[in-house]
Amino acid sequence: MTDYLLSMMLFAPLVGAVIALFMTGDKLKYARWVALVFSAIPLGISLLLLATFNSDGPFSSSFAWIETASLKIQYLLYIDGLSMVMVLLTTLLVFLVVLFSWEEKERPNFFFALILGMQTGLLGVFMAADYFLFFIFWEVALIPMYFLINLWGGPRRHYAAIKFFIYTHVSSLVMLIGIFALAFQAANIEGWTQLSFAFADISNVMFASGFQVLVFGLLFFGFAVKMPVVPFHTWLPDAHVEAPTAGSVLLAGVMLKMGSYGIIRICLDVLPDGAVAWQIPMIVIALVAIVYGALACIAQRDLKKMVAFSSISHMGMVLLGIATLSDIGIAAGAFQMFAHGLITAVLFMVCGIVGHNVGTRQIPLLGGLAEKMPNYAAFMMFGFMASLGLPGLVGFVAEFNILAAFYNWGNAEGMAWVIIIGLASLLLTAGYYLWAMQRSIFGPVTDKVDVSKVHDVSVYEGVSLAVLCGLIALFGIWPAFAWDLIFPVAEGLAAVWGVI
Amino acid sequence: MTLPDFTLIAPQIIVLLAALLVPGLHILTRNDKLVGMVSIAAIVAAGLYLGWMILEGVEGSFLGVYAVDAFSLLLTGLFLMVALLVLLASLNSVERDRHHGEYYALILAATAGMMFVACAQDLIGIFVGVELTSISSYALVAFRKNDPRAAEAAVKYLVIGGLSTALTLYGFSLLYGVTQSTNLAEIALAIGAAPSAALYVSMALIIAGLGFKITTVPFHMWAPDVYEGATAPVATFLAVGSKKMGFVALFKIFLVGFIAAQATVVSDMQYLFAVLAAITMTVGNVVALSQTNMKRLLAYSSIAQAGYLMMVLAIATEYAVIGGLFHMITHVFMKGGAFIIVAALCYLSMGEKLSDYKGLAKRAPVLAFSMLIFLFALAGIPPLAGFVSKFVLFSSAVGSPGAEMAGQWIWLVFIAVINSAISLYYYARVVKFMYVDEGESEERITVPMPFMAAIGICLVAVIAIGLYPEPVIKLCEAAAAALLG
Repeated sequence: MTDYLLSMMLFAPLVGAVIALFMTGDKLKYARWVALVFSAIPLGISLLLLATFNSDGPFSSSFAWIETASLKIQYLLYIDGLSMVMVLLTTLLVFLVVLFSWEEKERPNFFFALILGMQTGLLGVFMAADYFLFFIFWEVALIPMYFLINLWGGPRRHYAAIKFFIYTHVSSLVMLIGIFALAFQAANIEGWTQLSFAFADISNVMFASGFQVLVFGLLFFGFAVKMPVVPFHTWLPDAHVEAPTAGSVLLAGVMLKMGSYGIIRICLDVLPDGAVAWQIPMIVIALVAIVYGALACIAQRDLKKMVAFSSISHMGMVLLGIATLSDIGIAAGAFQMFAHGLITAVLFMVCGIVGHNVGTRQIPLLGGLAEKMPNYAAFMMFGFMASLGLPGLVGFVAEFNILAAFYNWGNAEGMAWVIIIGLASLLLTAGYYLWAMQRSIFGPVTDKVDVSKVHDVSVYEGVSLAVLCGLIALFGIWPAFAWDLIFPVAEGLAAVWGVI
Repeated sequence: MTLPDFTLIAPQIIVLLAALLVPGLHILTRNDKLVGMVSIAAIVAAGLYLGWMILEGVEGSFLGVYAVDAFSLLLTGLFLMVALLVLLASLNSVERDRHHGEYYALILAATAGMMFVACAQDLIGIFVGVELTSISSYALVAFRKNDPRAAEAAVKYLVIGGLSTALTLYGFSLLYGVTQSTNLAEIALAIGAAPSAALYVSMALIIAGLGFKITTVPFHMWAPDVYEGATAPVATFLAVGSKKMGFVALFKIFLVGFIAAQATVVSDMQYLFAVLAAITMTVGNVVALSQTNMKRLLAYSSIAQAGYLMMVLAIATEYAVIGGLFHMITHVFMKGGAFIIVAALCYLSMGEKLSDYKGLAKRAPVLAFSMLIFLFALAGIPPLAGFVSKFVLFSSAVGSPGAEMAGQWIWLVFIAVINSAISLYYYARVVKFMYVDEGESEERITVPMPFMAAIGICLVAVIAIGLYPEPVIKLCEAAAAALLG
């Protein structure tokens, strides 16, 4: 039964995408209903899987696909706790994004088809248990985003779209070379005459240390560009600033997580020695990303660009957690992926609404919006507070545990002082958010743009935002929900390095 | 005396007979459509017979010159497919021209030449087949003789083709002088001894001569001009047909004749091919970036694809040959499909500039979608056929299943990967023109049936092979095993 359930969840959006494409002419207005239904199906299935996870999980499904004398490629799906959380995040965000974009006027059939098509790619990455399949979904997720930016984006959308496409494509190909190396080396060590690409086959192979260090580098590059971490981040601000709100939400909310998910699922699992060799570089990169992202945020005038840079900073946090190579750190990194997915969705929706309703996102031109759009201001405040790690909200749980794991690592290495860098970044984060808030929604009403006719959030936007804010608060006081799913996976991974 | 078994080369005979029959039929009936349909029928008949041969697993040798095995059957089938696509695309394209009988006869003759090369196990057999195809294609390029562009292209092609023929033949004669044989298997045995200077010279001449055919840098200059000047169906034939024939000839000579011999000259040749492959793919992709004419863009992209295929000659493992054959097959459908769309739009007088494709998605949604699929497949985006074949081909540079990982060609796969990313830029640019930019007109276009049939074949193949490549990979595995013995 679960065999078909998993595939149904994976491909329902794709079917919906094809149906939505055919909603032309008079039927154009039904495209959004198609999108709603076909994004509700995976959401429903993922909730069902969640409900039965403790009794029946982890779920898996396998079919033979390509089996020749030299290749063995299977259609393998696998959902453990980590995948479960990411799948939930994806199905939830896509559903809410569809709702949020309910009043899309320009070519809605194509718009919703792209969002649904992307969902299949994203879900596939989190569910695949075969490198070939993983790579296919990894690349498939790219194409709809390219079109979303190119067709519905801002003034510099062509540049941003192609930059995003090429940048991430290069990184995927480098990752692919790493995958080739893994597959050939595994076949060589084990004496297989067939190349197998199944996760399970390859993760059992003991690779030599030198090989691990090299291949870790290739794979890490592929994942790091996607996350992205400094210095491979330059595609992100461009893509976000130009992308439509729905694109930004999915890009930051889910797509960036593909990178960190890959590091946990593949790099740490298959190449434990490589991870040890790369630990210090990863920690340095993570710290640089955290601090650089936060500093860049302070300098931004465009609200959306600020949120984009804050993503870099927060994804740096994820990497920092992972790089401690401890069970708490890895679990907290994965939890931060989940938390950031929810929070950043709120932030990008907020940016989208202000750009749409007021006509500008330039912070210096805004001011006093709380008076004109009280509901909007409330959502914005809530989102900012969640993002800066206010205790009681979901972001706090993640960051607290990451920093705790980082402190542990530093302490064990005899340099507990490094925690100061992490703490300083929290200060910076609070600084830029509060400052941006102060300038845009508080104070006297701006006279630089005409706000006399500005209206507050619409019903559809309000519902999506309210659901997200509710979940942010809920998981802030009940983190065990996601933590209990993730932690066993992290524990299993960290067992290799012993208790640190 | 017993007669040789003519059934072994029956597909070739069917195609050749049709080539002889068609001009006469045209003179008698003056029916343009009829000769086109007869040509297609001949190709289909040959294809059906070939299909039977593949199912029956027919093997054998015709007079020791033409071998029938998994390799030759696969390639013969591929060339028949090329001919079918080109003929379908031609039906409408040439309807305003004269001399239909000759046109179809030339395509059939050229196809027969390629089919003979696929089977040849002898230098003479290879040479005769290559020449049959080349001479027919010179005339095909010059088919619209009153069009100055076509005339210029034909003269260029003829002069360069003549030079390449001379080089190849001289190379062959030196090789014969060194090894005392024209049979590839015997050459392989004779080369085992220490290499002589004459052997190196002969190899250089053969690489240069056949290098023209496969458009490897620095022998590629003619291709964009000729593709641009020729009619689009003929350009399709050159890009996906006769180029593959050049590769088949090279595979036979170098993989069978030399690599199998394990001679000391081999590794020198491998490095030469690796460098040529790297340069060819890079030049093709980088120059394609700045093209504004669709045919020229596809020409440079073909040059780049030739670079990818040349990796096979450098790596020279059985797994690499599998990847190479697989990529040749998918390339026929991807590049063939893209060229046929260009042909259809030329036929409708849409122009062949990139800017003429603006707003195509609104004017012809099916056509634009097919083009999108072909271009993304060429760029190697999954889950399309081009991805899977590139996956196998590129991975062969990293290693070979079950063998020690040498790491010798890792640099080549990095260059190939970077090239693949560069190519995405110009393919995506065409997609942007079609889908993002507004065209001057929003009038719907309808494309004649034969074009749609050819495009449909390619589209189905590109998607189906991408989703379920197993049968094709198995064919390629059998073919590679047969080629390398």
